[in-house]
Amino acid sequence: MIELQNVSLKYGDKEILKKVSLTVKDNTIKAILGPSGVGKSTILKLMLGLIKPNGGKVLVDGTDITNMKESALYDIRRKMGMVFQGNALFDSLTISQNLGFFLRENMKLPEDEVNRRVTEQIQFAGLEGYEDQLPESLSGGMRRRVAIGRALIFKPHMILFDEPTAGLDPVSSKKILSLIASLRNNNNLGAVIVTHIIDDVFNVADSVAVLYQGEIIFDDVTEKLHESQHPFIRSILSDKILEL
Amino acid sequence: MPVTYIRSLEKQLELQLKGFFLTMQEFFLFSLRSFMAFPKAIRYWRDVLDQATICGTDSIPIVLVSAISIGALLAIEVGNLLEDFGAKTMLGRSTALSVIRELGPLLMGLMLSARFGSRNGAELGAMQISEQIDALRAFGTDPIAKLVMPRLVAALIMFLPLTALSDFAGLQSAAYMAEHYHRIDPGIFWNAVYPRLAPKDFVVGFLKAPVFAIIITLVSSFNGFSARGGTAGVGRSTIKGIVVSSGLVLIANFYVSKIVLENM
Repeated sequence: MIELQNVSLKYGDKEILKKVSLTVKDNTIKAILGPSGVGKSTILKLMLGLIKPNGGKVLVDGTDITNMKESALYDIRRKMGMVFQGNALFDSLTISQNLGFFLRENMKLPEDEVNRRVTEQIQFAGLEGYEDQLPESLSGGMRRRVAIGRALIFKPHMILFDEPTAGLDPVSSKKILSLIASLRNNNNLGAVIVTHIIDDVFNVADSVAVLYQGEIIFDDVTEKLHESQHPFIRSILSDKILEL
Repeated sequence: MPVTYIRSLEKQLELQLKGFFLTMQEFFLFSLRSFMAFPKAIRYWRDVLDQATICGTDSIPIVLVSAISIGALLAIEVGNLLEDFGAKTMLGRSTALSVIRELGPLLMGLMLSARFGSRNGAELGAMQISEQIDALRAFGTDPIAKLVMPRLVAALIMFLPLTALSDFAGLQSAAYMAEHYHRIDPGIFWNAVYPRLAPKDFVVGFLKAPVFAIIITLVSSFNGFSARGGTAGVGRSTIKGIVVSSGLVLIANFYVSKIVLENM
């Protein structure tokens, strides 16, 4: 479980997050919805301890990671997988090497086990035959699936997605969303999805938090989003995509 | 009006000073973490070897070209000058001192600042803006231990033999020009070199290699890690890395020579 308690964050004079509180329970998919540049990705980075808040607390499985040292954070981070918006694949490594990179790097597994898990993820992501290709030779959707495979390979409890369907064609988006839904159904994984596409929220999320002007203006099960009377939520429900 | 203008200037200066000291603090911590990651060199020995190839073996041609050209040029110019005083036989000594103490290590430092430093800045900058460095951290790998420490260890190891190579090539080209341009017998040239070189001449020259290795690697890597603002940002951070490290190499060159020569 991940909890943000009254988290505030400033970049210079600009207040990005104002006392934001939200909880992500295990085995559920939580979406964080909001316009571009509002600080949604920042929330994911706070959850991983990649950046420190100016105020408030971040708790992972009950452990306060707010002021934890970088070296102590590595163990916490291994409980979570992260899929970056730009995928952040290592461009000089092949797909297999990308998938196996953190297993070889951080877990002292026998090479046979590493290869077995890599093959498993290749099959899960439907990337058979692309094992020895470099990321640059794959389509956007395929690269996203490799990034998801890389996040899943060391069996985290929670997986964080930063705009998982941004920049993808409708077919690839659908594949990615069904892949995310299958994680909860088959692997009992929790997930946080940051997105500005409201259809993604209704397709996969159990609950949704709406971030607007640095504040959470809605945090409840997805179905109740339609009941909200907040002007911003009413406007996004009619526009569907938040390019505001 | 002038008061408002002065106040706005004061505010700007204050912000710039704050920014400068903040960057210095970050650079100090970055350097400290890079040195503290040294025990992980055994774990990352493959990365150390890769970087040793990049900054060492692959840099040999540029180091040789610069050392040979400057050695030859030095022999011609100094030889002409010494001829006016009838002291052409001292050419070996003067070129040896210049090359071993100053020009050999300095040229090698500047060449590697451009070659190795720019590569570090561009590669790490591209990794930074494409979130690959964040990905390393997110999945539990220390990016400084994985990316910076191997570069630093490799540079510390490889800059010494490169300095020796630069000195050797510079002296050989000077000897060649002494024989073929100034018609000085090789025996006379080398006799003015070897017996007169003191240990401090080698200490001055070879002490610069690790100093330059630290400056070039840390400055270029820090700028790569600090890259912001897309591909243009990578360009800016790479240029900044080269300019700052080259400037610091020149300053360090002066102070190492001054300190060693005054104390030995």
